[in-house]
Amino acid sequence: MNDDLSILELVLNASPAVQFVFLILTLLSIVSWVIIVQRWLVLSSARKGVLSFEHRFWSGMDLSQLYKEGNRMQQDNMQIVGMENIFRAGFKEFMRLRQQGSVDAEAVMEGSQRAMRVAYSREEEKLESHLTFLATVGSVSPYIGLFGTVIGIMNSFLGLATQAQATLQVVAPGISEALLATAMGLFAAIPAVVAYNRYSALLDMITSAYITFTDEFSSILHRQVHSS
Amino acid sequence: MNSVFNNLVIYNGYPISIAAAITFHILILVALIWVQSNNRIDSLELVQPTIVKALFIDENPQVRNRETLERQRLERLDEQRLAREAEQRRQQEEAQRQAAAEQQRQEQVRAQEREQSALLERQALERQRALEAQRNRERLQSEQEQQRQRDLAEAERRRQVEAVDRQRQQEATSAAALEAARTEFELVQSATALIQQALQQVWNRPPSARNGMRVILRIRMLPTGELLDATITQSSGDPAFDRSAENAVYSASPFTELRSLPIKVFNANFRALSLIFQPEDLLN
Repeated sequence: MNDDLSILELVLNASPAVQFVFLILTLLSIVSWVIIVQRWLVLSSARKGVLSFEHRFWSGMDLSQLYKEGNRMQQDNMQIVGMENIFRAGFKEFMRLRQQGSVDAEAVMEGSQRAMRVAYSREEEKLESHLTFLATVGSVSPYIGLFGTVIGIMNSFLGLATQAQATLQVVAPGISEALLATAMGLFAAIPAVVAYNRYSALLDMITSAYITFTDEFSSILHRQVHSS
Repeated sequence: MNSVFNNLVIYNGYPISIAAAITFHILILVALIWVQSNNRIDSLELVQPTIVKALFIDENPQVRNRETLERQRLERLDEQRLAREAEQRRQQEEAQRQAAAEQQRQEQVRAQEREQSALLERQALERQRALEAQRNRERLQSEQEQQRQRDLAEAERRRQVEAVDRQRQQEATSAAALEAARTEFELVQSATALIQQALQQVWNRPPSARNGMRVILRIRMLPTGELLDATITQSSGDPAFDRSAENAVYSASPFTELRSLPIKVFNANFRALSLIFQPEDLLN
């Protein structure tokens, strides 16, 4: 019986409870990998966006021209990411309040800062969505695997109780199958934990860049309000 | 550069990430199966553990004596049978020879008679009556002789049949005795083997045990298999080793296997027993 004992056969011959655990763990692993790849795309594009927008912003370009460029990009069906969204929200609010004319300088500043805060929190939400799922997978899937292992070992010992002669051949497949559950739990957990740590560090970096930009931009606006 | 990322992040990048994740898992599964199918053959080579077995030799003098006696008795029986067969063959030959001699004599007698009759014919008729009387007498004699011979042969045959019968009977009784002895011997053997096994299981040899050490214990037992006492009749020189053997005997008792033995067999073989403890398989 030992001759053709492959992993596939182990999984197929496992007891229903253990098979259920395998199924859950496989799904968790696949979903967590989907999120890992998707978050990587989103976060790296956000970081690239930060760099490129900062470059454009500090290139001495006129702010209204920058805003118009963004309008053109929207018309071309291109997504506007991250920092540029914050800039656009703040600048739009600033221009609108200035055009009303009657409003005093502090109110204009407050309004544009509020608009930027809203845009910032929306951006942050976009960036950190689903990251908690990775954390959950990382902490829970070893327990699920362990559960499968316990069930599997329990089953194999129950089977052993009915045997007159307890040989290693009777227990070994059951224990092997049970240990496979733990292996799968770890397999799902390790990438999730690594990715979660990496991405939360990246997220911190990006959001702090956003906050810095918001402060700098509002200081520029402040200067503009009071100079005029 | 920005546009490239913009294109990737259509639908937040979900389609491409789902495809990547599933591909990754399938790749891992295929790799696992491939690795297993490659490894299967050489991973199954079992490593045989080195077997440590404790041997002790049972030299029960009673059993040995019994064996030699049994063998001697068998040899004696064989010899007797051979001697009897030789005797029988000799008797048969004797009888044949006797029969042949008798026939020859009869022929001689008949030839004499013929001669005499021829003579008598040539002689006078007056002597014929006397001659006839004589011939009658002679015939009578010869008949008697023949009768006697037949009787003799009959007796001989009966004696032979009786001898064969007796021999067969003797053989049967000796076979039965042999059978009984053999079953008893087997019983003793199996009980001895069981005791050996029980002792081997519980005998913990001390680290000071060496190959060639030898301690002889004399144990006395009750028919229930309980141990009365165990004394060291020949020490190995190492007190720890002696004590381990003694402990083994005490912890293996009672020898419940002995309860099933017939009391006669038990008394003859197991009431007192000498056990030799001797490790033979140690590495040092």
